[in-house]
Amino acid sequence: MSSEAQESEISNKITCTDVTCPVCGIACDDIEVELDDVSVVTRNACIMGDAKFKELRSSHRITKPLINGKEAPWSEAVDKAAEFLVNAKRPFFFVGSETTSEAMAIAIEIAEMLGGLVDGNATICHGPTVMAMQDVGQAGCTLGETRNRADLDIYWGANPEDSHPRHLSRHSIFVRGFFTEQGRYGRKVIVVDPRRSTTAEHADLHLQLKPGTDFEVLSAIMTILNGFEPHESFTDVTGISREDIHKAAEMVKDARFGVIWVGLGIASTRGKHYNASMAMRLTQLGNKTGKFVILANRGHCNVTGFNQVLNWSHGFPYAVDFSTGAPRYQPGEYSCVDALRRGEVDALFCMCADLGAHLPKIAVERMCEIPVVSIETAEGPQAFISDVVLPGVLDAMECTGTFYRMDNVPIYARSFCDPPFDFTKSNEDTCTQLRDAIIQKLEAREKAKEEEAQAKPQTTPLSDEEFGQRLDKLVSRAG
Amino acid sequence: MDIILNTGSTAFQGAVIKGGRKFTDDYTQEAAYCDISPEDFEELGKPWFVKVTNSYGDSVILRAKKTDRQQRGEIFIPRGPWANIVVTPVTESTGSPRYKNLVVQIEKGSSPVLGPQELMKKYYTKRARPKWEANRKWTA
Repeated sequence: MSSEAQESEISNKITCTDVTCPVCGIACDDIEVELDDVSVVTRNACIMGDAKFKELRSSHRITKPLINGKEAPWSEAVDKAAEFLVNAKRPFFFVGSETTSEAMAIAIEIAEMLGGLVDGNATICHGPTVMAMQDVGQAGCTLGETRNRADLDIYWGANPEDSHPRHLSRHSIFVRGFFTEQGRYGRKVIVVDPRRSTTAEHADLHLQLKPGTDFEVLSAIMTILNGFEPHESFTDVTGISREDIHKAAEMVKDARFGVIWVGLGIASTRGKHYNASMAMRLTQLGNKTGKFVILANRGHCNVTGFNQVLNWSHGFPYAVDFSTGAPRYQPGEYSCVDALRRGEVDALFCMCADLGAHLPKIAVERMCEIPVVSIETAEGPQAFISDVVLPGVLDAMECTGTFYRMDNVPIYARSFCDPPFDFTKSNEDTCTQLRDAIIQKLEAREKAKEEEAQAKPQTTPLSDEEFGQRLDKLVSRAG
Repeated sequence: MDIILNTGSTAFQGAVIKGGRKFTDDYTQEAAYCDISPEDFEELGKPWFVKVTNSYGDSVILRAKKTDRQQRGEIFIPRGPWANIVVTPVTESTGSPRYKNLVVQIEKGSSPVLGPQELMKKYYTKRARPKWEANRKWTA
């Protein structure tokens, strides 16, 4: 990856090449950006990437801190945010994905310092798939290997045409790789999806199953691969014909290098991590006849990075509670939706994620009742329900940092311009300033406690003689 | 009638949110609709709008879109605040709510679809603290 910037003196126009896109899990690193004072032009970016780069020159960017929706000085906003978090008994830290791993590490540090809960976008994305990885184990590979070697692509509950628009042309179906020089003609494609999605239109075989029957369909393919026949009720349960399921099993058997791309179709439906576990077991079985791998189509930018950072810092991928002083991991207990739904969270810090738009109603209702501090780049549901909004920096454009691609490969994204404000250089910087403000408040609180203890009148125990005298007085009074 | 709801992302909805246009009509255009199979569309009486209600009694009005991409008995709503009014918070101990394969009720709707700001105000102001009143231009 090499980057070059040419500056024209007349229009302040910059042309940058090999820019990393901070939108989806693919983290395309071949984007070209032409930036001047008023406009942004991109090349190679998809519709979502282009929209994100255009944010550099948008009118709705949040450039000033807000307290209760009103513009406020930066120091005041940081102080207020620190105050909310320090005063909370059970603060929740939602570390969103549209930021760098470095910023995430600081946010996790704050959560640990305050004994709060921490969770990230994985919880509403591929959290169940991550649980399955812990349960079964993932036979994975890099996107380069799928590009150069895969001759069978199985999209299970995934629709990359919409979620990762450049997936098919850069890493899977259409790309011509070293051992796949025929491109689409050298690859077979299976799509498993209850909808006839746009990805399904490219498939050699579309298994249009009934929703919630992924586990049964995966089991049936494994049954056939093991030399048995699925149960007679198979078609009634799943809506897939025997002919099609046999065809799918044959394609798995014939593959030299197969990839199962799992999407949220298996993680968000009935069965959740059990479905993903079964897909990973199918991968193990596929490795008996050829090479087989499984990759999660991680959608949100650096969501993989959150799992990585929390893993290396505290040993767990998401849904961690620090209230006892040691990290405890329990999805369903310490995860964002569950903790909000139970109403136990009394302050929320949300970094670079729009929880207001993407959590179920009950969770958002709870957010309306408690102090919410957000790092946000644009107005929207999250900024709307926040008490304090700290303007977000567009990572990978306005500051450098590490992004983890969906295949767990870290990519160092470089910046090519500066943020439109000077009170912070990056989201990492914002978190560091917030951390320092929190430390100051905690120290002040400790000091106040000490002073209070010193100010109290010291009581010394009575000597035996004094005690006797007082007792005599009391007895004589009573007499 | 009972129907199975799937929610998910679309490239156009993604472009709106990544482009920070979450409080514009574009968001309503790209996320406040409901894909319905031709058979169900006929059965509902060729509606312009539909009302989708979950088992908690929460409901939302959406534009109805007839499409042959859906199987009978299933609907699709793009990811966003409209879909999440009816998504239930039960996570089956995984942290992930039931964004897909959720049984909901669908019927012909009558009122217009709310924009993102109106939607937030309607559903999330009732229990909110006084900060809402102080909120700036978005609540004006």
